[in-house]
Amino acid sequence: MNNDLIIQGLTKKFVTGTLPALSNINLTITEGQLTTLLGPSGCGKTTTLNCIAGLEQPDEGVIRIGDFYMTDTGRKLILPPEQRQIGMVFQSYALWPHMKVFDNVAFSLKLQKVSGSEIKKRVIDALELVDLGDLSGRYPFQLSGGQQQRVALARAVVTRPRLLLLDEPLSNLDAKIRETSRVWLRELQQRVGITTVYVTHDQSEAFAMSDKIAVMSKGNLLQYSPPEELYEHPATQFVAEFIGATSFLKGIVTSVEGNKVSVRLSNGDEMKISDHSERHWQMNNEVVVAIRSERVEVASDDKQGGNILHAGILSSTFLGSKWQHVVDTGSGSLKVETVDTVSEKRLSLFLPPDSILLFPAE
Amino acid sequence: MTAAKPELKPGPISRLKFSWDRIVQWSLVLITVLLVVFPSWPIVYQSFLDSPLYEKARNFTLNNYTHILGDMHFWRILGYTLAFAFVTTVVAAIIGIILAVLINRTNIPMRGAYVNLVSIPYYVSPLVLAFAYMEMYGPQGFGTILVRMLGLPTWQLYTFGGIVVVAAMYYIPYTFLYASSSLALSDPQLESAARIGGATPFQTILYITIPLLRPAITYSVLLTLVSSLELLSIPLVLGNSVGIDTLSTYLYTLGVVGVSKDYGAIAVVSIFVIVMVTFLVYLQGRLTNLEKRFVTVGGKATRPKLLDLGPAKMLVSVFVGLYVILGIILPLACIMLESFVSFLSPFMNPLKVLTLNNYRDIFLTPAYRQSVVNSINISIFAAGIGILFMALVALTAYRSTFKGRNLVKYLALYPRAFPGIIIGIGFLWAFLLVPGIGSLRNTIVVMSIAFTMRYLPLGFSAISPAVLQISDELDRAARVAGATWLGTIRHIMLPILRPALLSGYILLAISFLKEYATALFLFSEGSRVMGTTMLELWRQGGAEPVAALSTIQMLITAVLILVSGRLLGVKLHE
Repeated sequence: MNNDLIIQGLTKKFVTGTLPALSNINLTITEGQLTTLLGPSGCGKTTTLNCIAGLEQPDEGVIRIGDFYMTDTGRKLILPPEQRQIGMVFQSYALWPHMKVFDNVAFSLKLQKVSGSEIKKRVIDALELVDLGDLSGRYPFQLSGGQQQRVALARAVVTRPRLLLLDEPLSNLDAKIRETSRVWLRELQQRVGITTVYVTHDQSEAFAMSDKIAVMSKGNLLQYSPPEELYEHPATQFVAEFIGATSFLKGIVTSVEGNKVSVRLSNGDEMKISDHSERHWQMNNEVVVAIRSERVEVASDDKQGGNILHAGILSSTFLGSKWQHVVDTGSGSLKVETVDTVSEKRLSLFLPPDSILLFPAE
Repeated sequence: MTAAKPELKPGPISRLKFSWDRIVQWSLVLITVLLVVFPSWPIVYQSFLDSPLYEKARNFTLNNYTHILGDMHFWRILGYTLAFAFVTTVVAAIIGIILAVLINRTNIPMRGAYVNLVSIPYYVSPLVLAFAYMEMYGPQGFGTILVRMLGLPTWQLYTFGGIVVVAAMYYIPYTFLYASSSLALSDPQLESAARIGGATPFQTILYITIPLLRPAITYSVLLTLVSSLELLSIPLVLGNSVGIDTLSTYLYTLGVVGVSKDYGAIAVVSIFVIVMVTFLVYLQGRLTNLEKRFVTVGGKATRPKLLDLGPAKMLVSVFVGLYVILGIILPLACIMLESFVSFLSPFMNPLKVLTLNNYRDIFLTPAYRQSVVNSINISIFAAGIGILFMALVALTAYRSTFKGRNLVKYLALYPRAFPGIIIGIGFLWAFLLVPGIGSLRNTIVVMSIAFTMRYLPLGFSAISPAVLQISDELDRAARVAGATWLGTIRHIMLPILRPALLSGYILLAISFLKEYATALFLFSEGSRVMGTTMLELWRQGGAEPVAALSTIQMLITAVLILVSGRLLGVKLHE
């Protein structure tokens, strides 16, 4: 049987206050895969997650795993969280401070009236799964942040739930542990093979962990793609900006030949762009050119096969492994990276045609 | 652990399982509604009747309203009550703030001891305080006579000024405690920033520390105002013999002492008071909301540097010490001493008239003994059940998806608008009206229910901050883990709330022990409490037995505070 998580027409109207609304979210998450809900705070990703968990109630929509309906507003069915058989890791880990690690993990099993010996076996299995077998007698406050997060994970999977929900589980960790944790977490998720929904606002986390990423903004689902596709072909300017394109210049389309588009920037410079989107451009369209700073090269004027822009340096910042410069192209400012310091006041910038993305002006 | 392949148990149609959650929530709300409505409606009803509400021949009328509102005497009493409440509040607030800043933020000697000493009146019944002042500073008081013997000028306690001073003594701890806990919570970095910016320590206190106290001051000032408007004991004990009346003593005289009880008048005056206090309580809520911008985010709990008062610190400490000794210790010591002698006077050596007769009288007279037993039972058992109920109401209000949860908040806080004496009237009349439950009046069950209603706001606000402090992810995690709402409360919330429940319980137990106003109309043969017996004895002129009862009450309170503090680590105030 197909046990995909299916979300259809999920809508939550604006409540007084600052809660984000959801408008008609549709998502299918393949069984055993990890999908990330990515977006800035207030985009609706946490609301979506809470609706899946049953912690918040949508106004409309269906949420089901295969034929197991958890929410179906048409039938006035909204299962309370405790009847959904899911596991969840919260941002603060939400370990119950008055219970030892063992009791935290055993809580669900006790409620399910699992026998004592079975509970013991499964709790120890779960703790070993997260490499914390010997800490079962500690209280949560005696653990480090990373250990707490792993206990929370053990607690979430001990019941063998049909779905695992992760609400920014790494955001409270130090930068260093965060990177090892995400590798570990992804590896564990794949080993257990559990369908997982992951919420974060950190795009590098999303790229590193996901089978698919759903980018959200203001309650809308903007794009739902695998990470590589998302990076290469962002659907909108917002998505491009959110996943790392750093500079935007305005311009007007001057010629279109197949997917080769020429754009004139505001200071008269012409740029040639290979556009891989499905959009149909026409002469005199007002457009925005998005440029990824990591693709821009500082080069000499005679370099062929791309666009050359001349720009004056406005400021330079040393970031440790590299320099970042803000430069003025005459049509707007750009961010550029170099490995070494730059002594010149003006730079020639080489932009390959496929490093540039094109969006309609908003 | 093997890879966990989810197995789908339910078929295509999932069905909601039955749960007790909603039923329990509805019951809690229903009980809360009943607690508020039950004593209110007879008062409203009676205010439109021309004869007592239990009589058969009764007709609707508006005469009660025209009669009272057209009575100059009523308006004079209202004016007097307002003047009394406002002056008391201002005096209590000013002294309370000064004491809070001096004791918490300056280096005066003995400040550690002062913290506890200054708070004492908070835990003493105002009735006991009134008796204590009467015995110490009244016209025939120990202290008054002593001063007169020394040929020094004396004072008149039974005056507007005298009553205000005693009432202020009772209310100073309110401002003091709220301001102190606000001082303890405020971020010391705010003061450090002012010092870095060039402010002297004194300027820092004046421009930063005290203005930051504004929410605490606003809150405690309005609390004092509301409470002093309905205060019965101090004006009654000190003003009765010279004909001073406030709305509360007026109600008391109309309903308890008066020969012919004018039920209509009592009802109209009660409604008038409720409306007035409701307005103040509403104002308090609004102002407290407006003051939220002052709430500072707590920083690291580094102790702020204390302001060095230099050579003046000794003098200031002496002043605070005099306040504590003359205002608190001596009157209370006087009434305790009096309970152990046959007659207290500066003219004779108290050691020569030592006796335990006063205590023997209390314990050998069944009615008096019963009042002590009743009070203890109410404060142990009713307060225990009460705090659990109030915690569940708070959890319904703040941690449920119950539709009417906002209404629950208002309902739980609304009894603040009901003076104790009026709650007593309401319950009494409700018992007269509802057939078949009259016999309950003779038991402490009724008293317990009425006290629970009176202190519902206290218990609710004692528990609520603790509930709000618990991250909602903790109960969400329990729900996701498979617990129902009730299961979450039982396994997660109540265990975590244990310290708050314990201190709430002690606070409630002390309040139940002190309470007298609610019981005045309501009590009958089997349900008297210490407060009602004290007032009875006082009216019969028995100063020494009153002193003995007062001492017993203070002793029990002290034991409650010390035992709970030592054994259970209960802190009644931050």
